[in-house]
Amino acid sequence: MNTVSSLKKLSESVFIGHHNDTLKVAEQMLGDFGKRINLTGGNTAYFIKGESDRTVLLEAHIDEIGFTVTEVCERGFLRVATAGGFDLRALPSHRVTVHGKEKIEGVFTSIPPHLTKDEAVFDDIDKLYIDTGLGERAKGLVSVGDFVTYKKEAVELLGGRVTGKSLDNRAGVLTLLLVAEKIKAASVPANVVLLFCNQEEIGTRGAVTSAFALNPNEAICVDVSFGDQPGVAPAECGKLGHGPMIGVSPILSKSMYDRLRAVASKKEIPYQCEVMGGRTATDADMVSISREGVPTALVSIPLRNMHTDAEVVDTADIESAAALVYEYILAGGNENA
Amino acid sequence: MRNILRELCETNGASGRETAVRDRIIELIRDHCDYRVDALGNIIAFKKGEKAPEKRIMVDAHMDEVGFIATYITESGLINFATVGGINTECILSQRVVFENGTVGVIGGKPTHLLSAEAKKKLPEVDSLYIDIGARDRAEAERYVSLGDTAVFCSPYTEQGDIITARAIDDRAGCAALIKLLREDSVYDFYATFSVQEEVGTRGAATAAFAVAPDFCLCLEATTACDIEGAEGAKNVCFLNCGPIISFMDRGTLYDRELFNAANASAIPHQIKTAVAGGNNSAAIHKSRDGVRTLAISTPCRYLHSASCMSSYSDIEGAYALAKEMISVIGGMSDD
Repeated sequence: MNTVSSLKKLSESVFIGHHNDTLKVAEQMLGDFGKRINLTGGNTAYFIKGESDRTVLLEAHIDEIGFTVTEVCERGFLRVATAGGFDLRALPSHRVTVHGKEKIEGVFTSIPPHLTKDEAVFDDIDKLYIDTGLGERAKGLVSVGDFVTYKKEAVELLGGRVTGKSLDNRAGVLTLLLVAEKIKAASVPANVVLLFCNQEEIGTRGAVTSAFALNPNEAICVDVSFGDQPGVAPAECGKLGHGPMIGVSPILSKSMYDRLRAVASKKEIPYQCEVMGGRTATDADMVSISREGVPTALVSIPLRNMHTDAEVVDTADIESAAALVYEYILAGGNENA
Repeated sequence: MRNILRELCETNGASGRETAVRDRIIELIRDHCDYRVDALGNIIAFKKGEKAPEKRIMVDAHMDEVGFIATYITESGLINFATVGGINTECILSQRVVFENGTVGVIGGKPTHLLSAEAKKKLPEVDSLYIDIGARDRAEAERYVSLGDTAVFCSPYTEQGDIITARAIDDRAGCAALIKLLREDSVYDFYATFSVQEEVGTRGAATAAFAVAPDFCLCLEATTACDIEGAEGAKNVCFLNCGPIISFMDRGTLYDRELFNAANASAIPHQIKTAVAGGNNSAAIHKSRDGVRTLAISTPCRYLHSASCMSSYSDIEGAYALAKEMISVIGGMSDD
């Protein structure tokens, strides 16, 4: 699987609410490997391999941030509510897809500077509209409750870095797919299950019910975290191209953290540590307290410009994350910890 | 004209770097008129018509677009920039740009999660922004980008019925209309100028107008439409799908009253701009030599100077038609 082209494909696909094109793309990449386990709420798992009493769950959320239409206004402009955390300052003139009766292109409005008196204040999404250019015809094509997502072609920057929308968390989805590809030719000491969760971006909800249903013995969540860029302190980010970030926090399994680091050192896989004081704002927060508790680790891909359509990741970090998770499973995981 | 417009909107040409746009325009017009390129890079063309008008007519459209220019490369390989032309500052953050050699970058910013409540509401200062091309360090970045290189918005041309969304509709719409005028028969002789450096102070038009020394000039432009939800009355400025715009006055020009009235009498659906705002090459042209009687004919464009300008193709066709009619009107004018 070519990492750059696969990531671009996953980035450009859409997964929000009941729109699940990304899952179809992921399933194509998985081929006929793995047995699908249907879950509720748009969550999907795949039993990959293993004949063991123990199950290692590899989790990545597959949903993306977006908007829902709250009003189709008089002139056909759309008012929306956010579904996920947005930087409102990064919306004017950005392109979106409105998932109405058909897919419609739109642009977030902006006001020309010479027609405004005061400096713009970005405190309310209601100050922005989506313009489809269709005028009143939009009324017949768009309904309240329709979803809206970023529209952005993914492209490669220098040296295997990729920019686009929804790299949070298609980087994690791709990591899991790469692990599955490696496992194809290996024999694994535990059952391996992949889980693609819905509704992370609106409150880590899919992970709650899915982890309960799958009842794993341990879990590794793969998500993205802040990458190095101006204004972000070294202590709160990882450097792009320096390997995945292994999370350490009071709510994560310390023994899994230690083992992941040991495996990385032994196999000479680059990694960085991400220290958090409590909850991680990822699905790991929910998986770890499922049922009677699940030892959980968090592996994160450093990402710049989070929650915009100009996210940037380094595909080398995704490949290193996949190698790390794979080697960790082969080494016996958290068994007898 | 639609295909030509698309092609021109997909060609990059920030102010001062109009070469690619100019080369393509020359290919399109070379068999239909005489032309030369002046010292600044303006194309100055002469179209032979059926008749020579008593008064010399010039029709202008500018080739350049707003963009960014690299001013500094940091040790970590990020590129600081200055804006070229009046880019709407609320349309810069998290945009994608492309340099002249095809190198793509993004204009990043600190993630919203890490911003204070106050910072979330305010636009960052433009001079705190940078372009990230994915370089690991300064040396790698310097292999792809040099100081003084320009970039433009990297943004696709899309159509939804007659509605076009693209970068640089200002002023490739005017260029497309002017190309069409040159590629077909004309009743009267006229000069056509495809000018450079409009966005940095209508500079190309100044020298082009001096060279042509016209009596009359029509500027084919794109101008701000603000007909968005909630805009009232004059604040709309003008509307998409309601025809080309004529203006009695903007921040650069008090337009010739006779030309304004003649255009306003046209049966071609048109609108009058309801704001005294903005400006275009008319500002330089009408003051050229001993004065030039000037009118601008503009295509309404929402989100002007952003990555996602939005215009209606029918309005661009209307601008072309009104310009053609006005050439005839002016051609028929005489001293008495």
